[in-house]
Amino acid sequence: MPGPRLIRGYLAELSADLPGRIVDELADGLDETYRRYLGQGLDPDAAAQEAVAEFGEPRRIVAAFAHASRGRTTARRLLAAGPAVGMCWAVILITARAWQWPVPVVARALFGVALITVIGLLAAAALGRHYRLVCRAAAAACVGTAMLDAVMITTVLVFVHILVWPVAAAVALSACRATFALRNVPHALTG
Amino acid sequence: MRAEELKGHLDALLLAALEDGPRHGYAVMEALRQSTGGRLDLPTGTIYPALHRLEAAGLIAGSWSVVAGRRRRVYELTAAGKEALSGKRAGWRDFAAMMSAALEGRPCQGPA
Repeated sequence: MPGPRLIRGYLAELSADLPGRIVDELADGLDETYRRYLGQGLDPDAAAQEAVAEFGEPRRIVAAFAHASRGRTTARRLLAAGPAVGMCWAVILITARAWQWPVPVVARALFGVALITVIGLLAAAALGRHYRLVCRAAAAACVGTAMLDAVMITTVLVFVHILVWPVAAAVALSACRATFALRNVPHALTG
Repeated sequence: MRAEELKGHLDALLLAALEDGPRHGYAVMEALRQSTGGRLDLPTGTIYPALHRLEAAGLIAGSWSVVAGRRRRVYELTAAGKEALSGKRAGWRDFAAMMSAALEGRPCQGPA
């Protein structure tokens, strides 16, 4: 956007953490604000200062976009659903004595690390104040959640041969969560 | 009126600002300033995330146009947005009546 250096710097600061389409929209509003002050008789530098002050701190705007992003909403929903789905799986794993299954220790450890990583990503997306971080963490967490659900469903169906209702319920819940997570990957990425 | 006092009411104000027709972010802020007599003390930049949130919720729809060589995003109310605005108006009337009655020490009449 042409105009005083102050406005260009302000937009550059926003561009560091917001996608181009959002910065374009903000630039349009900032330009309108700047022109209003010019119309009131202020010189270009003073008009730019007033316009930037009226728009608010870039950090605050970025945090507000992060708060309003679909990635954050998705992450919060997945975090809210986590305990219920986890409880279903825990009951099945304990009932079926999962510790006796012939699953290599490395695989168990990898699953644990993946689970902790996904929870960390969800927390970062749900609480982060940086827009890009929130979007990327949410998208990665969605993919990770779907993969964890797929692994759980496959593992339990391989080792639990009787399809009792708790297994059916857990599989259905996990499948729903995985579908929800995968469907929201594009939304999370685009904010 | 400061941003923290507006919590929970900003969505209704934004929807109301779009009731008369499509507007871009700056025009929405100007409409809010006029309708509140300039008493709204809200950084203009924070209007845009709120508009995006309402769009994600399906209450408003945004579209791009080009004005004087600049890209401009214009928003308009959807059918769901009009319905939500009616609900928020009714809710606010009940809330305001209840608060006024309580603060002024007179009995509150139930919702119509």
